[in-house]
Amino acid sequence: MIGLIVRRLIQLPIILIVIYTITFMLSWALPGEALLNDEGRRPPQSVIDQMNRQYDLDNPYRFYGNYLYNVTGLHWAVASVRGTARPDYIFDFGPSFKHDDWSVNELIGSSLPVSIVLGLSAIIIALVLGLTTGIIGALKPNSLADLVTLLVALVGISLPSFVIGTALLMLFPLFLGIGGVASWGKLTDVFLPAFTLSLPFAAYIARLSRMSMIDVLSMEYIRTAKAKGLPGYRVILKHALKVAFLPVLSYIGPAAAFAMTGSFVIEMVFNIPGIGQHFVDAVRNKDLFVIMGVTLIFSAMLVLFNLVVDVLYRWVDPRIA
Amino acid sequence: MRFPYTVAMAKVMAIFLLLVGALAITVATDKSLPEADLVYIQPQDIFTLDPQAMRYNQDLRMSYAIYETLVRWNNEVATFDITPAAAARWEVSDDGLVYTFHLRPEARWSNGDPVTARDFQYAWQRALMPDSVADYSGLFFVIKGAQAFFDWRTEAMDTYASRPAEERTPEAAQAFRDETNRRFQESVGIRVADTYTLEVTLERPTAFFLDLCAFGPFSPVHEATVERFLQVTPETGRLDQSKAWTKPWNLVCNGPYTVEQWQFKRGMLLRRNPMYWDQDAIVSDTIRTLPIQDGNTSILAYETGAADWHSDVTVKYIADMLAEKDAGQRSNIHALSTFGTYFWSFNCKPRLADGRTNPFHDAGVRRAFALAVNKKAIVDNVKRSGEKVADVLIPVGSIGGFESPIGLPFNPERARQELANAGWEDRDGNGIPENEAGDEFPVVEMLCSTGSYHEDVAMVMGRMFTETLGIPTRIDAKESKIYKDDLKQKDYMMARGGWFGDYGDPTTFLDLHRTGDGNNDRGYSDPTFDAMLERAADEVDTRARLKILEEAERYTMEESVPVVPIWQYNYYYMFEPPLDAEGNPRPGGLVGISRHPRLVQYLWKLGVLKEGDEVRVTDMGVFAQ
Repeated sequence: MIGLIVRRLIQLPIILIVIYTITFMLSWALPGEALLNDEGRRPPQSVIDQMNRQYDLDNPYRFYGNYLYNVTGLHWAVASVRGTARPDYIFDFGPSFKHDDWSVNELIGSSLPVSIVLGLSAIIIALVLGLTTGIIGALKPNSLADLVTLLVALVGISLPSFVIGTALLMLFPLFLGIGGVASWGKLTDVFLPAFTLSLPFAAYIARLSRMSMIDVLSMEYIRTAKAKGLPGYRVILKHALKVAFLPVLSYIGPAAAFAMTGSFVIEMVFNIPGIGQHFVDAVRNKDLFVIMGVTLIFSAMLVLFNLVVDVLYRWVDPRIA
Repeated sequence: MRFPYTVAMAKVMAIFLLLVGALAITVATDKSLPEADLVYIQPQDIFTLDPQAMRYNQDLRMSYAIYETLVRWNNEVATFDITPAAAARWEVSDDGLVYTFHLRPEARWSNGDPVTARDFQYAWQRALMPDSVADYSGLFFVIKGAQAFFDWRTEAMDTYASRPAEERTPEAAQAFRDETNRRFQESVGIRVADTYTLEVTLERPTAFFLDLCAFGPFSPVHEATVERFLQVTPETGRLDQSKAWTKPWNLVCNGPYTVEQWQFKRGMLLRRNPMYWDQDAIVSDTIRTLPIQDGNTSILAYETGAADWHSDVTVKYIADMLAEKDAGQRSNIHALSTFGTYFWSFNCKPRLADGRTNPFHDAGVRRAFALAVNKKAIVDNVKRSGEKVADVLIPVGSIGGFESPIGLPFNPERARQELANAGWEDRDGNGIPENEAGDEFPVVEMLCSTGSYHEDVAMVMGRMFTETLGIPTRIDAKESKIYKDDLKQKDYMMARGGWFGDYGDPTTFLDLHRTGDGNNDRGYSDPTFDAMLERAADEVDTRARLKILEEAERYTMEESVPVVPIWQYNYYYMFEPPLDAEGNPRPGGLVGISRHPRLVQYLWKLGVLKEGDEVRVTDMGVFAQ
């Protein structure tokens, strides 16, 4: 287990440098000028040149090098040793071109927790929702209840979230007066967006658990348990569910990663200050430091997340080690 | 080994509960902004509070609330006069070159320091330093010696950077900075005559200089605060500004409000600045911004009562909302004409980017195309949101004393005539005109950006060209950064464009046509026109100068036609009207919104009416008593 962790942690910086280089080349090649307001007045060329120089935008090699120097913490370390002025952060991700007053560190620091809260809440709701409907469906296959849950699952998968989200916003805050639109910071604010985000995951979990549950329920040992005279709910919860849950457990890992970062549409509809917006806006604005910052953080998160899931697997089921 | 199901399930539950607990704690400790007297929605968060770096509308609006410029506009009247602000009074020399501002001794920064002439000098120098230049720095070049100083510093920084590494010590960098400051004091026409007197000398008489002084980037900054977050980098000699100085806990303001809190993309809370000299002018004690990017969501938020003012409605169903208003079912949507014009550009270069001869190099062809556009049909059937048709570039009635020409309104008969006069006639009877050499008029490529109404406009306009002139067209819709690039490279035949004026003078629009101007995307170059601008720049008499500019506008709108104006841009606000049907104050209504096309909204004038409040009605809006 320790060997696994050490191995992955050694791989991490190498992976990140490769990703940085590729991202840098792609984003540098984006058309347009990073610093100017597209719809605004174009300043004299001498002014534009100096604006570009402030951020090394006139020289890709210097930009590439300086970014590495700052982001790896080297700059901070050198400044500490020499006793000169240190940068604001150990790992300095640079400034944002568009949001001038915020460093990329601040942007990620303020939006990543929001996305994690949203993503994990969605996964929790998806689990509760998916497992319940899955089990109901499995108990009476092809019954009315099963058809209804199938229908709900289909809707969850196929309706785009901006439709569901807008419909929920119109139903709850606007007509019923429950909760607020475009607010974030209260427990109630989390529910509607998390619910919307959870639907596709819930639908998938429902189908997954229904299938494996039906398989399990037809097994000999379940029949034995029933024959022993155990009550129905004990058979299902104690004996059937724990087996049927395993495929769901292995699905949660990638689903959680996806829910945390793939919530751009939800963020738009519910006006949530999460990290998904940066993935889209930064590329649109050619905001180089933000593009690189979120890409690097996301890559690091994926690697670490996989590591955590692997470690947890071994903890939950010691036979895998 | 047997798989220990029960232990495993317990462990899974433990992980699960841990997550739920962590989530609950995270959400519970996350404090949102408190309620405020006035809440307004804007599509974007504020980008910067550094006035010299501002370039977006919502930032400039914020600058007026937290900083006070030398002068302000009176946005309550159609003439949009300049009124005293940080400067109580000023004098202009007879040659129009020297402006002397006398500051109010009673004006204070939010930390209690007096607002002095030095604060303005310091702020304006920031705009002129290559180390911290921004979009609007070019406007400061009207000041004597400003551009020369900027160029000197640019060169000096190169020279410094090329010195051997061991010479670039902290002491050398500091010496370089001192030299820069000395040179600025000596050569740039911004002089501190005494603590409360600022003397500004211009390169040449600039009729709109006072208008510039009211513009956000000309705000003062608190020198001591900015300096705390400034350091000189020995390697480059460059001044590095840490943006931490604009954080609410550091920022020192001299305007009606101070910034109390700012959460990224969640809003900003402003509170009445107790040190501000004119307390009576402030209507609301606290103001909160609510940034909402998605148009639908922002309207839902307004409808649920989350905000008192929606400052920029952009949804596709504006037309329906306006129709509801006309039918008397809705009163909270408002269309306001702006200081901007939507137009289509002609590529005026002799050759197209691919080397072909450009038919639009001929002003006669451009006139023919301009005359063939039925603008009313486009506004009524495509845009459908109540814009005013524009036949000229400078919005009519937006600049006091400026008489707009007529332009080229829709006239298909004359359009065909102009095209024939330019030598394009259908000689072989296939419906498409040819020139004298027998070459067909090329298919007109109409460049626009995707994702908005531009493609619809292009389609309808293209059909008008085909119907009236017999010329086939093709739409060339591109992603906006690529569209912008093509525009700069002049790689197009016709392209959509638009322009908002920055200051109250015709040149803020007319400069677009100046040869070699950075915003001249048309490659238009006309010595006659350039000469007119030069003559106007040297004219000291205001009236005579405006006459020349009127002629310049007429020349470009009726004769040489580098652009076809289509409509005057609208902005759409949502707020509860401040007056009822009888014209009495209506509790819950919003006061303080100015309808002047410049659309400068001073936040301290905004407020929600309460029972018994009196109001003042002017020709530009309803204001608090």
